[in-house]
Amino acid sequence: MIACDRLAHTSRWRTRPLAEKALLSLGLLALAVTLPPAGGALVLGVALTAALAAGTPPLALLRLIAAPMAFILTGALTLLVEIGADGIHLSATGATQAAALVLRALAAVVSLLLLAVTTPASELVQGLRRLGLSAEVAEVALATYRFLFVLQDTAAAIHATQTARLGTTGWRRRIRSTGMLVATLLPRALDRAHRLEVGLAARGFDGSLRTISPTRPAQGRRLALVAVLLVSVGVTGAWL
Amino acid sequence: MAMILEAKGLSYAYPGGVTALSGLDLGVQRGKRLAILGPNGAGKTTLLQHLNGTLKPSAGTVHLDGTIMGHGRTELAAWRRRVGLVLQEPDDQLFAPTVFEDVSFGPLNLGLSEAEARQRVIEALNSLRIADLAERPTHMLSFGQKKRAAIAGAVAMRPDVLLLDEPTAGLDQFGAVHLLAVLEKLQAGGATLVFTTHDVDLAWAWADDIALFDAGQVARQGRPEEVLADAEALSRARLKPPFLLELGLKARQRGWLGADQPLPRNRSDAMALLDGI
Repeated sequence: MIACDRLAHTSRWRTRPLAEKALLSLGLLALAVTLPPAGGALVLGVALTAALAAGTPPLALLRLIAAPMAFILTGALTLLVEIGADGIHLSATGATQAAALVLRALAAVVSLLLLAVTTPASELVQGLRRLGLSAEVAEVALATYRFLFVLQDTAAAIHATQTARLGTTGWRRRIRSTGMLVATLLPRALDRAHRLEVGLAARGFDGSLRTISPTRPAQGRRLALVAVLLVSVGVTGAWL
Repeated sequence: MAMILEAKGLSYAYPGGVTALSGLDLGVQRGKRLAILGPNGAGKTTLLQHLNGTLKPSAGTVHLDGTIMGHGRTELAAWRRRVGLVLQEPDDQLFAPTVFEDVSFGPLNLGLSEAEARQRVIEALNSLRIADLAERPTHMLSFGQKKRAAIAGAVAMRPDVLLLDEPTAGLDQFGAVHLLAVLEKLQAGGATLVFTTHDVDLAWAWADDIALFDAGQVARQGRPEEVLADAEALSRARLKPPFLLELGLKARQRGWLGADQPLPRNRSDAMALLDGI
């Protein structure tokens, strides 16, 4: 999540309107799910090209794909074998099915990652807010988002001081140190929350966290271009 | 001298029962820079949080322009509109995804329109010289940048009094000098500044007025050359007189500096004094 956030903030597409990026990413996702496997390969190619065009470092992208890939491969492995009356044997059609599944799932994952590595989570929440998500839910989500980073810094600092005092050598000590870290983090988080409340109150907090969010109106022409791209990928993919 | 903010007989104990303030009196002169000087753990932050109504004293009153301030909802809102607070730890203050959004929080709470609020944000970012950070996420800033963003959040509300808790703590020398220059500009624009510090040298170099805080009370308040030369009172608060003040007094004693000439308050004053010997 932290890696995604860093990529999103440094992405070349960071300031592009959310609507354009969401249309492209979710459109590709829909195509990945609905098109036949060969179409999936096309979708995967387009999504990868787009992610690289947005300035995502290839290695970082690969690392993000690795985790869901492990799940996909485990799922695909089970397609390779068949359990019949005479025991377990390799399936005749299993290899093709497994390949199709991997391709389709991978295309779907990269399509969605395209949005994640070009748009910070906070902006996604603000986008949902415009689509009708209630202000309360959006505020809690944004505060959580902000707090994750503060807590991560705190956890990293505690972990560093534990390591410096040999608290993480040997699994027994490591477990003990991790337990202490978690136990420390909760009161720290509550204390932080209280101090944040003081800081907000000083600026006239009255129960709602209103701020001026940057507005990036989508251009109709660009949205149309994205739509044309999606349609042509869809048509080519279905025909392949 | 006209007082903009006054504390009279403030008492406060922490929830554990430890006394923080015991009958404290303090006056803040309009348009001046007041340093609340005291050692670590003396309760300076607690005192500051009384001055904008965050904490409610068990006894005593806070007066803003002579009016006793109450802790009701509407009174607090009016109070905080005029008295801004900047916490020591900027992470306690920054909550929004980007600097611009965070700074816009206060102005919107003042009830300004979005256009007016936007104008205020731009002004505040410019005065803190962080306009280039506007779109940056708050969690990807350095400590010094976070500090300036937090101050911009308070400045954008254009308070009459700005309370700053240890403003230079954690900043490098360049960052501290830069910040003080920004604060001087705010003061020139009419703001009154109150800051806490345990740094006697900073207090000597920069404050117009000093309140020495010790054992829950203001032990002494007055002009820097009076309060900071009181070695006995300082030592009770576990502090020492500032080096440049001692140097200046010594120079007067030796006759190198006339009794009517000002004491050196910064490096260049001291250098000029040495050159004159």
